[in-house]
Amino acid sequence: MNAAAQIALQNAVNGLLIGGTYATVAVGFSLVWGTLNVVNIAHGALVMLGAYVTYWLFSLYHIDPLLALPLTGAALFALGYPLQRFVINQVIRASFLITFLLTFGLDLLITNLALAAWTADIRSVTTSYSGWSLTAGPLALPVVRIASLGIAVLAAALLHLLMTGTRLGSAIRATASDLEAARLMGIPVAHVYALTFALAAATAGIAGGLISLSFPIYPAMGAGYTLVAFVVCVLGGLGSVPGALAGGLVLGLLQTYAAWWLGPNFDNIVAFSVLILVLLVRPAGLFGRARRFRG
Amino acid sequence: MSRQAPRRPVTAGAILAAAALAAAVAIPVFAGTYYVRVITGIFMFGMLASGWNLIGGYTGYPDFGAAAFIGIGAYTTGILMLHAHLPFAPALVGGGILSIGAAAAMGSVLLRLRGHYFAIASLGFMIVLQQLAANLDITGGGSGMNLPVARSFTTFYYWTLAALVLAVTAGFALPRSRVGYAIAAIRENQDAAQVLGIAPLPYKILAYAASAFFFGIAGGIYAYWFTFIDPPTVFNVDFTIQAIVMTLFGGPGTALGPLAGAVILKSLDVLLTNISVFFHNVFFGALVCLLVIFAPRGLAEIVRARGGLIEAIRADLRESRI
Repeated sequence: MNAAAQIALQNAVNGLLIGGTYATVAVGFSLVWGTLNVVNIAHGALVMLGAYVTYWLFSLYHIDPLLALPLTGAALFALGYPLQRFVINQVIRASFLITFLLTFGLDLLITNLALAAWTADIRSVTTSYSGWSLTAGPLALPVVRIASLGIAVLAAALLHLLMTGTRLGSAIRATASDLEAARLMGIPVAHVYALTFALAAATAGIAGGLISLSFPIYPAMGAGYTLVAFVVCVLGGLGSVPGALAGGLVLGLLQTYAAWWLGPNFDNIVAFSVLILVLLVRPAGLFGRARRFRG
Repeated sequence: MSRQAPRRPVTAGAILAAAALAAAVAIPVFAGTYYVRVITGIFMFGMLASGWNLIGGYTGYPDFGAAAFIGIGAYTTGILMLHAHLPFAPALVGGGILSIGAAAAMGSVLLRLRGHYFAIASLGFMIVLQQLAANLDITGGGSGMNLPVARSFTTFYYWTLAALVLAVTAGFALPRSRVGYAIAAIRENQDAAQVLGIAPLPYKILAYAASAFFFGIAGGIYAYWFTFIDPPTVFNVDFTIQAIVMTLFGGPGTALGPLAGAVILKSLDVLLTNISVFFHNVFFGALVCLLVIFAPRGLAEIVRARGGLIEAIRADLRESRI
């Protein structure tokens, strides 16, 4: 294999590996948006909290970050439920500007409290296996990233099964498609909304845990991931788990190739350009169903 | 609403406005430097909120990337002063004009999107410009840009006051003009407006560009005032959020509401910052949450409501909770 082909292939691998993490960031965001019609700007802040939970479990109690993921998910689930039940549910039927602004306020609050508690220092989780890498022919496959991709796919599959195969999943989907009808069928909608948000927060926490293994963490890290989640949802279509997975992988590939061609400092520019292009050309997403987007 | 209003209150209003303006012009003569600076800051946010109100309040397009134009205005003013050796005034006007141009170009794309999509696409636009400014040579990249130091601070006060008066006047004039009727129709029901023969996009672009002009001017004044700018300080979403919160607090879609919101909240903010910077940061987050939960339609609406404050808050909560 010649050198250019080798670099191109390595970039494809890197893009798919980072794309798995993007998908994990986006599934929860997509679930909340599709079900609750809330674009949760604080989603990135929840990812950040997940990263810090993993970090503290690792550095204080020496719990392995990968084994700690269920704990991280549970912690964020426990935060997400009351946040939706007692705060966001209060304005859930108001205009979108209100819910948008509320989650913006929550984002400011969470980020600034984290800044006060943990300072702006950049931290990282370094395990004994952080530097390990498999080689497949000429390709380097970092172990941590492969594990992240595996867990991302596993989490997405579990969420998909939950949404399609359980009573809770049916209740969530029923509530999303018609709030009043769901209420009349005896579904406790306030509780279902809170459970949906808690599930999304748990996946955000797991995404944060995975991110802490490969990337530096700091309180303001969330904003970029909120944008990533949004772009992935637009690419993959709303509210569908397979869509988020596909959208995440596509964005990962695009950003990796763009970084190769343009240099490493243009990731947001690429993500945004893709976002605008898709919104204008194929507003239902590459894999989505038709909705109302344009004005 | 005020088309059939009796003449007398209008005249009284005009006299009151003239008196307020005269008082504002006289402030630097007798107030100390500290207070002139604080009031300049309050006026600047009054201008931002009034400017945001044009697109977010009257037109109903929540622009979460308005700080993009603060950055454009700041960098244009800085570059024109440093590299073209222009004096401040023409450089500032250049920043305002470039903001209008950028808004017209970007608006023709972004304003085709609705709701959440417009909100986050406008935010993305700002993030892109921030990254662009950090990667270009002419902006000084990530290490920022140093502007010449101004001789007198009072200049900034009067520039800000002039821009504020212009922004508030625009807020008065817009809803009483043909353009204003079209914009109101688009806000209430765009499809119906289209049926009536209103082509929405040009009107939306007009409101967006007018709003961008005031953000651009604010950016130019900010750059010369603080003499140092870098991408994260001017392409800063905090400016946008503060302008939105002030507008919502005072009453969106009213001429004086955004200014009132800015005066009240910025004064409170100055007091809190004097106590602790931590308070300042957490304050706005908490304020945003409380405001949207308890007074989503602004203070003016609640004060005006019959049955008192508590009943108005209860009614809002009943309507929007599940």
